[in-house]
Amino acid sequence: MKKKYLNEAFLLLMAVPILLWSLLPIYHIFLFSISSKDSAFSGALWPKEPTLRNFGHIAKQEHFYLYHFWVQIWNSLWIAVAVGALTLAVASCAAFAISRLKVRGGRTVMNLALFTYFIPAAFLAIPMYKAMGNYGLLNNRWSLVLAMVTLAAPYAIWVLKQASDKLPWELDEAARIDGATPLQLFRLVYLPLMTPSMVAIGTYALLLAWNEYLYGYLLLSHERTITLAVALGHFIAADDSPWELLMATGLVYALPPAAIYYAFRRYMVSGLTSGAVKA
Amino acid sequence: MASVSFSQVKKAFGATPVLHGISLDISDGEFMVLVGPSGCGKSTLLRMLAGLEDITAGSISIDARVVNDLDSKDRDIAMVFQSYALYPHMTVGENMGFSLKLRKDRKDIIEKRVAQAAKILNLDPYLHRYPRELSGGQRQRVAMGRAIVRDPKVFLFDEPLSNLDAKLRVAMRAEIKALHQRLKTTTVYVTHDQVEAMTMADRIAVMNDGRIEQLGEPLELYDRPANLFVAQFIGSPAMNVIDGVLRKSSSCVEALGHRWPIGALQRGSEGQAVRYGVRPEHIAIGGQGAVTAEVVVVEPMGAETELVVKVGDVTLVVTTHGRSDAKPGEAIALAPDAASVHLFDAASGQRL
Repeated sequence: MKKKYLNEAFLLLMAVPILLWSLLPIYHIFLFSISSKDSAFSGALWPKEPTLRNFGHIAKQEHFYLYHFWVQIWNSLWIAVAVGALTLAVASCAAFAISRLKVRGGRTVMNLALFTYFIPAAFLAIPMYKAMGNYGLLNNRWSLVLAMVTLAAPYAIWVLKQASDKLPWELDEAARIDGATPLQLFRLVYLPLMTPSMVAIGTYALLLAWNEYLYGYLLLSHERTITLAVALGHFIAADDSPWELLMATGLVYALPPAAIYYAFRRYMVSGLTSGAVKA
Repeated sequence: MASVSFSQVKKAFGATPVLHGISLDISDGEFMVLVGPSGCGKSTLLRMLAGLEDITAGSISIDARVVNDLDSKDRDIAMVFQSYALYPHMTVGENMGFSLKLRKDRKDIIEKRVAQAAKILNLDPYLHRYPRELSGGQRQRVAMGRAIVRDPKVFLFDEPLSNLDAKLRVAMRAEIKALHQRLKTTTVYVTHDQVEAMTMADRIAVMNDGRIEQLGEPLELYDRPANLFVAQFIGSPAMNVIDGVLRKSSSCVEALGHRWPIGALQRGSEGQAVRYGVRPEHIAIGGQGAVTAEVVVVEPMGAETELVVKVGDVTLVVTTHGRSDAKPGEAIALAPDAASVHLFDAASGQRL
């Protein structure tokens, strides 16, 4: 009994500093976002006159850097959802083919795909830029979608493959005897059983695209095509950056991922770890 | 309903042969049990019939139509798996109706047939439950329900009772048997449990090492096992087997310093090395016992008593009806029933 309490006390002692350490920057952002321009750098732990005016500026697009705020956040959202959906489509088909249909060479394809992770994404940025240019996709939302799907797919395939390896074989055999074609097997048996892992992987790809900066910066350049992440980067281009607006926008930008994560947290934990160990 | 025929069926996984030319004819409506130790190829044979494994050589036909290259779904068979293989995301009713749905049957027909099957199997109250909400026995019945709604030509069972506890297994055994008597669908049933085989089968194929050792009705296998393997596989407790020398002139086998009586025998030659087989229930105790033995363990079961005894270094099992006064350490006389003794050639293991 006593030992248990000591253990928990120790864990708490570890957890509190870590929690404070990770929450501090967020608090800082929050502090900036509710301060007026003058008091933003005052160094106080709480502004004298907290205000929500910054958020009003954002909503009404009342600053040079915010003129296209709604278009940009829509771009972010559109691209993130597209990446999530497309990654899921690609990865679930691939995982099904490799794990359930045992397509010859499937494992090799997956390992080759995983091998691409040995090359840092930053190195791939230039070839990717060139490729998108060749296809005439620069400055088009699809260029970022395709690039992000390329980056997210290998991991997604791997996780989904590991998860599908755990589905009992007899289910496929029973379905085959029941008269299912491979497509029916995929649609009526495989996909429903894979839902938890699919939610986790879809969320992973969606957040990956939502948070992406480098590729967005390279592939999209027009003010009305860039994502909000890239637009946020533009804030610091000026000598006299509107920090309070930058932080307020950043806070708004962080809300959707937080909400998604909160909604799907049950799947995230089980889904991402379910493929981690070979059972 | 249909007949099933295996003709010189062979199977190899890579370079490893697992079935060495199986020929077997199953007639319309028959309940055929394939029984054997694990690794004997019985499940592989069943899976080949189901279309889940390729056929390396030979042919399999259902109703005189060769199905070697036919997809599982076109063979008109239904299979019950050891693990039940129920679709976890579908209710009992959806599980049972799945094959009909794939066949694009009308919804009211599906409902009607699922309801009929559910009634036969006493599953009506559970149609809207999910498999995880059912007990092992109920899941087993759903798996059978999924098979019967289709009204297939052949039922295949792959060790369907192995995951159930002993009591439920006995109950389900009777249920499957009753179901077969009611539906009269040709059935191929794989098990490693010889009791299941004996109690359920019309005919049994005893398999070992990729071959059929003997094919016959249950009591035929029990009364006249063709070889040592079948003799020791069928029957519980297993048959006692003793190495000895045949003395035809004095109608006995000499073994362990005793004379073991045998019945009339046409084959075998004087002085031949043989293996003397006698079932535990065919050894009487006391009287003019030809053999003396020492009691090692007494296992009272109520209706009968099993005695583990020793003759020389060899341990034998003797079953007596009713109770026994024997105590460990005591010497008793054994009298094998000469008419029920089995003799096998020591070298080949074949029946004499």
